[in-house]
Amino acid sequence: MRRSLAILLGALAVGVAVFAGSYLVSQQVCARHLANATDDLDWLRNEFHLNDSELARVRQLHEGYLPKCLEMCARIAVKKAEVHRALTGATNVTATVEQSVRKLSELRAECQLQMLRHFVEVSQAMPPEQGSRYLEKMQRLTLGSHEKVEESMSGAAGQSHGHE
Amino acid sequence: MKETNLNPEDAKLRGLLCRSRVAPALPPRFQEGVWRRIENAEAAKVAARRNWLDSLAQWLLRPKLALVGAAALILMGSFMGVREGAQSARHEAQARYVAAVAPNLLR
Repeated sequence: MRRSLAILLGALAVGVAVFAGSYLVSQQVCARHLANATDDLDWLRNEFHLNDSELARVRQLHEGYLPKCLEMCARIAVKKAEVHRALTGATNVTATVEQSVRKLSELRAECQLQMLRHFVEVSQAMPPEQGSRYLEKMQRLTLGSHEKVEESMSGAAGQSHGHE
Repeated sequence: MKETNLNPEDAKLRGLLCRSRVAPALPPRFQEGVWRRIENAEAAKVAARRNWLDSLAQWLLRPKLALVGAAALILMGSFMGVREGAQSARHEAQARYVAAVAPNLLR
């Protein structure tokens, strides 16, 4: 009886090990293989079922948008540093601080509007149904995380913005 | 005809009834027999359990079944792993795109 019990427990342990091993190996291989893609637009192509011509149009828009976005981010970073400098050692909100904060807010709003315009343009390059799904998704992913965007603007433009 | 008093409360009648009840003698080694039957019943239960475990263990050790079981586990594990891996890769790709168009958003 003890032998049979040992056999059963051994079989159970081997079964669990075989299952867990195959699960982990296939998960790692699959994730690594799919994540190997260096193209930022891979997700768009797969998620919104874009054909080659649609993807080419989206790529054109994407590549046109990135330099503008970088430039805007750099301007925001400069303005943010200016606000910090104006605030260093200050005991109250001076006219310079006020002006810098207002300018910073304007730049942020401008950056967001530019981003939203880009989303609209990209959505129009897609089939209508996919386009509206894209627009809805991007608005949810970006505007919903507005605070995080603002936090991200604090660092140096190139480094903190994740552009390659 | 003479009437007979059959009232069960009658003490005389009750005495007669008690005396007439026959108490059969127990067979020889009656108690020993009872204990033996109890022990046998318990032994049968243990034997049944042992047989069940033994047969399951033997069944599991059959090469064909072991092979089929291992193959099924590998297939199931791989299927679930691929599904999970694809999902995590998809999330990663989405995060990469969003980070490119809306910088540092997801960090």
